Amino acid sequence: MNEGFGVRSLHPSVMLMYYAGGMTFGMLLFHPVILLCGWAASIIFNLHMDGGKAWKRWAVPALSALLFLLVLNPLVSHRGRTVLFYWGDIPITLESVVYGVTMACSLMNLVTLFISYRILITEHKFLYLFARVSPKAALLTMMASGLVPRLRRRMQELMIVQKTRGISVTQGSLVLRARHGTRLVGNLLSWALEDALQTADSMQARGYGTGPRSAYPAFRFRVRDGAAAAGLLIAAAVIFFLWSRGNGYLTIYPRLGSVSLSNGDISVLVVYILFLLLPLGWEWRDRKTWQALNYKT
Amino acid sequence: MASVELQNLTFHYPDLRTAALSNLSLSVRGGEFVVLAGPSGSGKSTLLRLLKREVSPGGRLSGSILLDGRPLEAWPAREAASAVGLVMQHPDNQLVVDSVEHELAFGMENFGMERSAMRRRMAEIAGFFGLEPLLSRRTDELSGGQKQTVNLASVLMLQPQLLLLDEPLAQLDPLAARDLLGMIKRLNDEWGITVIMSEHRIDDLLPLADRVVRLERGGLAFDGPPRGFAEEAWRRQEPSWVEALPAVTRWALSQPHSETIRDSGPPPLSVKEARQLLDRGHLAAESGSTRQSPSSAAARKPLLQADGVFFAYDKRSPAVMSGLEWTIRQGDRIALFGGNGSGKSTLLRLLAGLFPPQRGEVLLEGVKLKRLPEAERYTRIGYLAQNPLLHFAYDTLEEDLFQAARRAECPDPAAEVRRSAERFGLQRLLDRHPHDLSGGERQLGALAMALFGRPQLLLLDEPTKGVDAAAKTRLAAHLRTVHESGTTMVIATHDVEFSAAYANRCSLLFQGEIVADEEPETFFQGNLFYATPLHRLLNSLTSSPAEEADVR
Repeated sequence: MNEGFGVRSLHPSVMLMYYAGGMTFGMLLFHPVILLCGWAASIIFNLHMDGGKAWKRWAVPALSALLFLLVLNPLVSHRGRTVLFYWGDIPITLESVVYGVTMACSLMNLVTLFISYRILITEHKFLYLFARVSPKAALLTMMASGLVPRLRRRMQELMIVQKTRGISVTQGSLVLRARHGTRLVGNLLSWALEDALQTADSMQARGYGTGPRSAYPAFRFRVRDGAAAAGLLIAAAVIFFLWSRGNGYLTIYPRLGSVSLSNGDISVLVVYILFLLLPLGWEWRDRKTWQALNYKT
Repeated sequence: MASVELQNLTFHYPDLRTAALSNLSLSVRGGEFVVLAGPSGSGKSTLLRLLKREVSPGGRLSGSILLDGRPLEAWPAREAASAVGLVMQHPDNQLVVDSVEHELAFGMENFGMERSAMRRRMAEIAGFFGLEPLLSRRTDELSGGQKQTVNLASVLMLQPQLLLLDEPLAQLDPLAARDLLGMIKRLNDEWGITVIMSEHRIDDLLPLADRVVRLERGGLAFDGPPRGFAEEAWRRQEPSWVEALPAVTRWALSQPHSETIRDSGPPPLSVKEARQLLDRGHLAAESGSTRQSPSSAAARKPLLQADGVFFAYDKRSPAVMSGLEWTIRQGDRIALFGGNGSGKSTLLRLLAGLFPPQRGEVLLEGVKLKRLPEAERYTRIGYLAQNPLLHFAYDTLEEDLFQAARRAECPDPAAEVRRSAERFGLQRLLDRHPHDLSGGERQLGALAMALFGRPQLLLLDEPTKGVDAAAKTRLAAHLRTVHESGTTMVIATHDVEFSAAYANRCSLLFQGEIVADEEPETFFQGNLFYATPLHRLLNSLTSSPAEEADVR
């Protein structure tokens, strides 16, 4: 996907703000209706990013976790005044059922946000954010992610060739296989160490450790980033304010309150949805310009 | 522009009595292109590493190294690191991070450069090397030549004045090597960077270099211009000197009237120069070697047959082999050519039965490979991978050989190991760890292991890669005796000269099929690219009668 387009063009720090807010509110606003609406918004967000491809991949495990929570919570938690029925001698209360539903919604929210996070915060953006906190750790991450595929390919080669010498993990008794396996891994490691010495030389030769480092990945903070950050901050402030006044969450224990939304709840809901969909504004705007471009030609 | 001055440099590695470098004095002017020649272990790498302070080996050093008239130790750390750039042999191991763009930026980051300055320099260097299309790629997806180009570019990001290259071409195929060499020459010509480059095979380098410095046992054996080197080498007639010459030079100097060449000017170093000499009538065009063709190939019994072999690594990736038909006959010594990534290695692995083709069959004496039990298959068909290190699994060479001999069911493995070590000249190395052997020694060790089972067929993948000339001659001699004892051989290689001297059949793999399969003389005569420099020189002269008639 085009990195300079729509949501993807936003500065990593703005995206970080978005995800920090989205995840916080996904846990703070503990109301099934609000969370369900938030979930819908997050899914819309996901659909805009990659047509829901990544979300589909995650859907089955996520939904099974949802079902699991729905069933489990009433079975293990017996808090609440309103007993619906007894399962054997286990009381199933309305409160714990509603709590389970709300928690499941909250979890779905987080998972859905995380999926779009994985699409949007590329390695590059992550490093940009991370390298300021700890340049060494960032370098280490990069080196590791370069090393792993190299080792994996070496291992494949080694296994193919060592097979001709009868050293293989697919044949023979379990003990023999284990012994061959450790031999192969040992070989791979001594080889990797040997190579690492040369890598270290190459790093030193290019002045590693001669003084403070800087970081190459660069993102410019543009006007649209400022606008997006301001919008997100205002929305977050409003939500916090309303939340601290007792809006936007459901009193479940000890006795379930009214599920219907008060005026305050509705305001929280609206601002929350605005918060979640705000970055999409750029996506829509940029898509329009593409359309205009296409009509012309 | 950096000048280098070595004054009475002597260096001892710890624990070693003999000096790695002894009393070496040398001065390199700014902007010179110096080729460092010499056999393995003559101190080339040691010298280059001493010039690069950050990676200089520990040991006793006397004498002084002056860079731009200032002792190397007196340079501040950052300046020293950026003034001298070093590119080493293995393309893979010099890469530090995962993406090309980041790899290029790594050095600049170490120097704490500003982002805008880094981007600017990135734009310049990436442009110079034509790396823009690769910037977003992962480094492990690149080919060897591309990796080495990235390594060179990332060193140049620091704008060094002195570029040290420690056998940068040894692991590359000839085409990639030539590209990289062209790039280095351009840097030297256009930017005036001083270049000191060591290499086993200096025949491609001689026409480009300003100066050749030859080391022998840590001392200076020659220091002068390339043509002077060619004359000196010819005067000495020592194999290790003559081997370093380009094939054309060797040929021209070995002609009966070579004195006239010497009178008429310096010896030719390239095909072009040799042609000019020929045109001036100083040389007679007669190819010295008209080798006897072996007994007609078709008469011999087929040993291994590939019948419509089709292979792809992935459902979505393109086919590597597409309906390949090939017959290897008993007694063949085949050189298998093919471009980079044409699937030579894959083909050898398919023929060795290391993995099965998706369609088609490989038959060993009429029996399908997949019908043969694995142990028998791997004993009857020996396979040597491109990297011989892959074949070793134990802590010493002796243990490795012993296990291989035992697996081949030799009656007395220990005695067999001794015999084989003697045969390949590995006795002194038996207690070494395989990692401590040189490339040529590893190659011989792996060959020894494969031969315990007395294979009928031996498949070798690039056995001459990264091996110096002496080791190559040794390997060729061993392969010849192995062949004489009745083993058929297939050698996948880029080394045209090696196979011209050695093979009795040449095959060319292209787009998943064998497109040429002939005797060497006919094969090389028709080719311009897969041909030795000598063939290129002579091909252009012996034009066919038909063409001559047309001219008249």
